[in-house]
Amino acid sequence: MVIRWRHVVGVLVACILGAFLVTWSGLISIKASTGHWRITDIVLHWVMRSSVRSAAIGTKVPAFTKGMLPMAAGHFEAGCAVCHGSPAMPRPDSVAKMLPPPPDLKDKIVTWSDAELFLIVQHGVRYTGMPAWPVADREDEAWAMVAFLRRYPELDGDQYRALTGFTAIASQGMDRLIATCNGCHAPDRLRPESLIPRLAGQSSTYLEQALIAYANETRRSGVMAVAIEKLTEAELKDLAHHFAGEGADPMPLLAGDLFERGQTLALKGDPSRGVPACLSCHDKAEANPSYPRLSGQPAAYLANQLRLFVEKKRGGGPFKEVMTRAAAKLEANDISALAAYFSARDIADQNAPN
Amino acid sequence: MPLSGCTGVQSALDPAGEEAAAIYRLLLVMVVGGTLIWCAVVGLLLHASQRRNAPWSERTAGRLIVWGGVAFPLVVLLALLAYAVWLMPSIRPWLARHAPAPETIEVTGEQFWWRIRYPARDGLPAFETANELRLLVGERVAFSLKAADVIHSFWIPVLGGKMDMIPGRTNTLSLSPTKTGIFRAPCTEFCGTSHTLMAFSVIVMEPADYIAWRRAQAAGDVPGGGEGEQLFARHGCAGCHGVRGVTGPATLGPDLTFFGQRQTVGAGTLANTKENVARFIRDPAAWKPGAKMPAFDMLPSKDIAAISDYLVGLK
Repeated sequence: MVIRWRHVVGVLVACILGAFLVTWSGLISIKASTGHWRITDIVLHWVMRSSVRSAAIGTKVPAFTKGMLPMAAGHFEAGCAVCHGSPAMPRPDSVAKMLPPPPDLKDKIVTWSDAELFLIVQHGVRYTGMPAWPVADREDEAWAMVAFLRRYPELDGDQYRALTGFTAIASQGMDRLIATCNGCHAPDRLRPESLIPRLAGQSSTYLEQALIAYANETRRSGVMAVAIEKLTEAELKDLAHHFAGEGADPMPLLAGDLFERGQTLALKGDPSRGVPACLSCHDKAEANPSYPRLSGQPAAYLANQLRLFVEKKRGGGPFKEVMTRAAAKLEANDISALAAYFSARDIADQNAPN
Repeated sequence: MPLSGCTGVQSALDPAGEEAAAIYRLLLVMVVGGTLIWCAVVGLLLHASQRRNAPWSERTAGRLIVWGGVAFPLVVLLALLAYAVWLMPSIRPWLARHAPAPETIEVTGEQFWWRIRYPARDGLPAFETANELRLLVGERVAFSLKAADVIHSFWIPVLGGKMDMIPGRTNTLSLSPTKTGIFRAPCTEFCGTSHTLMAFSVIVMEPADYIAWRRAQAAGDVPGGGEGEQLFARHGCAGCHGVRGVTGPATLGPDLTFFGQRQTVGAGTLANTKENVARFIRDPAAWKPGAKMPAFDMLPSKDIAAISDYLVGLK
């Protein structure tokens, strides 16, 4: 017998129909309870590893700082530990029967490079339940998480708790919420290298506008999106009122020459480059309460926020466009100088441009 | 009626300065002379198209060609050229025949407004203003012309010009106003989305008024502590706009000292009324596409109204 084209086409059509019938009949099991066949498991993992490896080619890894750890640890406790467990809490039974089960990261992290971890954290993994980072354009937050994950295998329960500062066992009492916020934001936990802002000293107007901006994603942050995801607008306002108004001491000074440069820029701006004086809006006695206090904020936080403004990624409350314009012409050395200056500046400093 | 478009605040056909008047005279000579010659040529054409019994002799035709086709154009064109060459020094600064101007005002074109710096003079200090130029009638004035970002061009049609403003260069121009009045000067080199909305006012004044104005400008405003003044500082307006005597020396945006005296809001964009100032504050780019000032539509309406009242009241 000669195989003709119509035989080939017939077999193809039969295959498609057969596949359709098998699917329709419900013979394919989607039960997570029985797990994958061994061969399926091997192939799926092979696909994942190959995909992540190729996607990671050419990714530039930034320098990791100590300041990245508490912010990432706080987010890990709020968003990741519920599936992966943590050094302070075993993986919950409720997720052990997910397919694939979320791995205990202690042994897995060492098998990935920094760039590969970044890709998994930033983009998630399809078909596994591993979600992408809550917002798309905050690579700096995902990199902080990678810095934390690198340290993760060597952390014991106490060290982990010391980094997170709170336990995400949900209870919505106001005391509990404040304790959770303080896990990251407590003034005595912040250093100049922290990426976390100090809430003390801000106006309740600014804090409320910032929290609402996080909630409706006009200010995008994966960390803050998860941190406030279950809160009502009334609770956000209560939190803003609670944290507003406390005094804030200056941070220790990092570098003297940077301080001087920052001071000049903050007081006079640089009209030739289109940079206005920071102090014409911020940290004045009679300032608009929507303009945040900068004095005494951690330098790393200030620098990171300014970079986000320059990259037009910062977002924020109703005045975000004003600051986006004001920051547009800042260069990298301006940003480090301003961060050093405001971090060490005393809020009571009466040196104002006007 | 058809000639009403030829007069007004921005017409080179209604000169109020020596340079513009010289160019206007040249134009008149050209138009009148050109019209006469055109009539003569058309007359000759009509004459030549008539049937005639006997053709002109070769000698007569030759004479006509030599006188009408060679000698006449040669004389007329040479005369015009001589006139134009003689005129040039008076409208071009590098051949200036006149005495040097006692005052050189620096004007910088920026997207999309004019930064104007007056030098110190006769015991009066230097100061900066914006979008409005005041000149002394009967006195020659020099301009040092610059650009901050792209090429702009400086032209006051009733006084003379124009001269390009080129980033990284300083061009000079000198003008001599002969009549008092309020005039308009548009940017005359395409400079971006709001090029057509970039103009300044020119006010030519009597000596006494001019000196009084300069004295007041240099001294600046007196802080009154009113609500609008406080809001101006509180919302950070003073970070870009200076009001001499009241705020710090901010020079990012146009200086607003005695803003209430100005003819327009937004460098010739809108008439200077408090409603228009409020509109401009609320969303500058809606009136002036590409303006660098951000929209302040998030401010409460009463704050915007108070700031507008304050600015319009700065007189």
